[in-house]
Amino acid sequence: MREFIEGSHAIAQIIKACQPGVISAYPITPQTHIVEDLAQLVANGELKAQFVNVESEHSAASVVLGGSATGVRVYTATSSQGLFYMQEVVFNIAGMRLPVVMTCANRAISAPINIWNDQQDSISLRDAGWVQIYAEDNQEAVDFHLIAYRLAEDKRVMLPVMVCMDGFILTHGMETVDMPEQEKVNKFLPNYKPLYKLDPAEPISMGLLADPDYYMETRFAIQETLKASLGYLSEISQEFNAVFGRDYKDLLIEEYQTKDADKVIVAMGSVCGTIKEAVDQQRAKGKKVGLLRIITYRPFPYARVYEALKDVPRVAVLDKAVSLGAYAPIAVEMKAAFYGKKKGPKVISSFVGGLGGRDITLESIDEIFRRLTAKEVNSDFIDLKPELLKEEYGK
Amino acid sequence: MENSPLFKSGHTACAGCGQAIAARLVVEASGANTIIANNTGCLEVFSTKYPETAWGVPWIHSLFENSAAVASGIEAALIYLGKKDTINVIAQGGDGSTADIGLQALSGMLERGHDILYVCYDNEAYMNCLSLDSLVMTKDGLKKITEIKIGDGIYAFDQNTHQLVIKECSGVLDNGLKEVFELKTLHHSIKATANHPFLILKRNGRGKQNTFVWKTLEEIKIGDRVVTLKGMNGDCRPFKFQEIKKAEKGDYKVNNINAINLPRESNPGIMKYLGIFIGDGWRRKGRGEIGFALPAGKKARNILTGLHEKIFGSKVTSDEQYVYANSVNLASFIDTLELGQGAKHKTIPAWVFMLPQEQKEAFVEGLMLADGYDRGTSKRYVSANLDLLKRLRLLLQTLDYRVGKIHIQVKKKGTICVRRALLKDSEYGYICFSKREKWNTEKYPSQYRYQDFLIDNKFFRTEEVTSVESKGVEPTLDLRVEGEHNFIADGIVVHNTGVQRSGLTPFDTNTTTSPSGARSSGNIRPKKPMPEICLAHGIPYVACASAGFPQDLTRKVKKAISIKGPKYIQVHVPCPLGWRHETNQMLPVAKLAVETGLYPLFEYENGVLTGRKQITPKPVEEYLKTQGRFKHLLNNPEEIKKIQEIADNNIKKYNLRLEV
Repeated sequence: MREFIEGSHAIAQIIKACQPGVISAYPITPQTHIVEDLAQLVANGELKAQFVNVESEHSAASVVLGGSATGVRVYTATSSQGLFYMQEVVFNIAGMRLPVVMTCANRAISAPINIWNDQQDSISLRDAGWVQIYAEDNQEAVDFHLIAYRLAEDKRVMLPVMVCMDGFILTHGMETVDMPEQEKVNKFLPNYKPLYKLDPAEPISMGLLADPDYYMETRFAIQETLKASLGYLSEISQEFNAVFGRDYKDLLIEEYQTKDADKVIVAMGSVCGTIKEAVDQQRAKGKKVGLLRIITYRPFPYARVYEALKDVPRVAVLDKAVSLGAYAPIAVEMKAAFYGKKKGPKVISSFVGGLGGRDITLESIDEIFRRLTAKEVNSDFIDLKPELLKEEYGK
Repeated sequence: MENSPLFKSGHTACAGCGQAIAARLVVEASGANTIIANNTGCLEVFSTKYPETAWGVPWIHSLFENSAAVASGIEAALIYLGKKDTINVIAQGGDGSTADIGLQALSGMLERGHDILYVCYDNEAYMNCLSLDSLVMTKDGLKKITEIKIGDGIYAFDQNTHQLVIKECSGVLDNGLKEVFELKTLHHSIKATANHPFLILKRNGRGKQNTFVWKTLEEIKIGDRVVTLKGMNGDCRPFKFQEIKKAEKGDYKVNNINAINLPRESNPGIMKYLGIFIGDGWRRKGRGEIGFALPAGKKARNILTGLHEKIFGSKVTSDEQYVYANSVNLASFIDTLELGQGAKHKTIPAWVFMLPQEQKEAFVEGLMLADGYDRGTSKRYVSANLDLLKRLRLLLQTLDYRVGKIHIQVKKKGTICVRRALLKDSEYGYICFSKREKWNTEKYPSQYRYQDFLIDNKFFRTEEVTSVESKGVEPTLDLRVEGEHNFIADGIVVHNTGVQRSGLTPFDTNTTTSPSGARSSGNIRPKKPMPEICLAHGIPYVACASAGFPQDLTRKVKKAISIKGPKYIQVHVPCPLGWRHETNQMLPVAKLAVETGLYPLFEYENGVLTGRKQITPKPVEEYLKTQGRFKHLLNNPEEIKKIQEIADNNIKKYNLRLEV
């Protein structure tokens, strides 16, 4: 059923359809509307779940960890500092192989404090052992949550999944969304049957101390599972298409006008909407440009990226996050994907933009295409304001 | 204690750990229908080391500080599943993970009103137990494995000749945390890792020569015959005593010299004498006083008097109760022998293990004269000094005696013991041993040879393995021994520890992060009032309990789980390592904390004080002097006064004084 709906409300609706048993969250902008809605749904009796109002994100993550360990489908959402405060538990959840699903409403990191969108928060947690999927629009954000539960609870996976959606741009944006019907959701996402749980009928211990004889194999197991998850994601997306009549290829990457392109921008999340429009405009002018959108950032789909870009001479990577003092996060992966390969772009330039909510406009994208020349650049910031860079301290 | 299905033995808690006992009481009181969320800490580490667990109830550990939140999630999930009414949820942690880093999660859990019991095991600092020492047979006697250096001579099996050989130690390896098993035979027990090889008898069938094979511990089956040390006579020699500088008349404080001859090396007579000394003797070196608590008429008195005259060429004085052999020089001499001082600290020094058989036997005879008695053919040695018993057991093993395990018993307060009534319950132990009967190998040569293939071997015998049990995970050391990769060790375990200050560390406690020194008398603040903080959340039940009062703890846990809503119980649990008291003093120390008023046991129901353990207050000094962590205070009446004030305030606040 198509609805004109705010992103956050749409997420709350789809979570309701997934029927988690335990929800716990701590309010943080711009995630707040999601959990407010869920609290209301619980209060109205429309959602039969326990909503635990915790005193911090650390406890929010711990509560869903406990709930999931008890064998119940769980949900939490957070953003920015909240995700960082959870970080310890985030790693723990993956290590304990609990199929938690979390929404990250992407937002910049302090200091300076800034509540607006970039992707620094979830990207900083890329090594946690979670699957990270980035939505371009609210339709995807909604669909990805269903896929997230299916993947997380898959017996071959049993790992947490983070659905990342750009804060404000998506969470507070109104769009027409085709909301999945409950019967179809039930068909696609059966009730959660845990592989292991805390139950006095069959007592087990979870979270044991693993000494040097055992620890490494647990990390290796997660690594292997994540690599295999790339295939499972394609498989699950085909099932999803069959039930809901969508057209996701494999949920790893999206290729937009890349086939014959000379220049391709690689990006992730909602900014890809803007880039597609810029590509269309340039194509109308006869320029062979394209977009490669990363959908799944962890595990990273190196092989798919390679196939998609191996014949493109120039690639620009646009990161909405920065690894201070090093190459930008997605740029690193792109360079790694082609290193030592026979084919691949001659130039992989890296740009950083949109930090702390600065708009990435059509002009910004044109600027990137313009600066994508034979001379490779690294972590080149776009849309800087020169007048703010004049003041110098310490001289 | 029999094994508990809910908290199984075999975990790696230190000896005398109050937390292990309290944790077991808590889970047993709560029952099988319990789910536990545990913070990181000693309890978590020693009870659940992959791939093993001590817990018979569903149990989860996530992080250092979030058990209250994890338990909140479990409780929420149980409500969702409609199972909360039949399952108790317990969150638990140590004092650091409760009062410091985990306070926020705990506060949230209390304020949200979850139906969870939170148990804080309060050992008053950050402890991290674990590390292992074994006692190893070396050329110079019994040594701790940690004391062994490269180049030391280590006793080993020669795999070809099956003889006892001395090999050079070429390395001490830190093996890290390993799963450790205890292998027991009738007379021996040893702890080792699963891959540690033991020499096992292999019977090759009729008419064929039996051989020995190395089997790793995990391959050994009950009934296999393992090679054990029988005796060490071959290389044993008398011990050369250290020469002392003799005092003379006119030396400081010496105005009368009791002329005595000091022996140059050990002999059976002096060993018997020292055996009696270990049992009944004392010395005050400064005053040159050597005394023996041997009442007139006791057999040992005559023997001692005779020995003294014979060895030292000197006379003893005596009264009805005691025998005195006062001599400054004798006192200095005995001081060099490392026999230890005081009933609790006397020990069998390393050199005794290397003595010839007859001298060791004389030593044991002396011990038996003081503190032993016969039961039929078996002898029984009694002592309150458990370390002494452990060492005696090893000594007897090197004599090829049949030695039973150490039995531990408690004498109740008031029991008459050496003509006095005991002032408190006191723990003591005993071991039984007997000489092996000589087998009539001439009459039944093949039978006995079948039973013990090594019957003619001077050093080793084979003994049937009676059990192999996992003892959980312990840090292990291994020795690299030149040529042979084996050494003779007994798995006596002692632990090292961290001990950093927490929010529940008491005032003036010496910890590694609140050390006492010239400008500090230890921790500068009193304990954070956790029970009051919890009480302020308006929760229905708050109580303090102690590992020293197990029934009270059990009752409080049962009461707590019968109440719906958040509950908080704080249990005082002694930590022998961190508090530095003897491992067998866990109960008395815990009790004294309560009896001095320093750890009041009270309970609040719905904000009202409904129960308290009343006491006839003892001075706090009695508690402080039991523990090394307060040692620096004992000569500081000003600080003791401040601590007495804390106790007095508790006594007043909770009305603890027992009305007569």
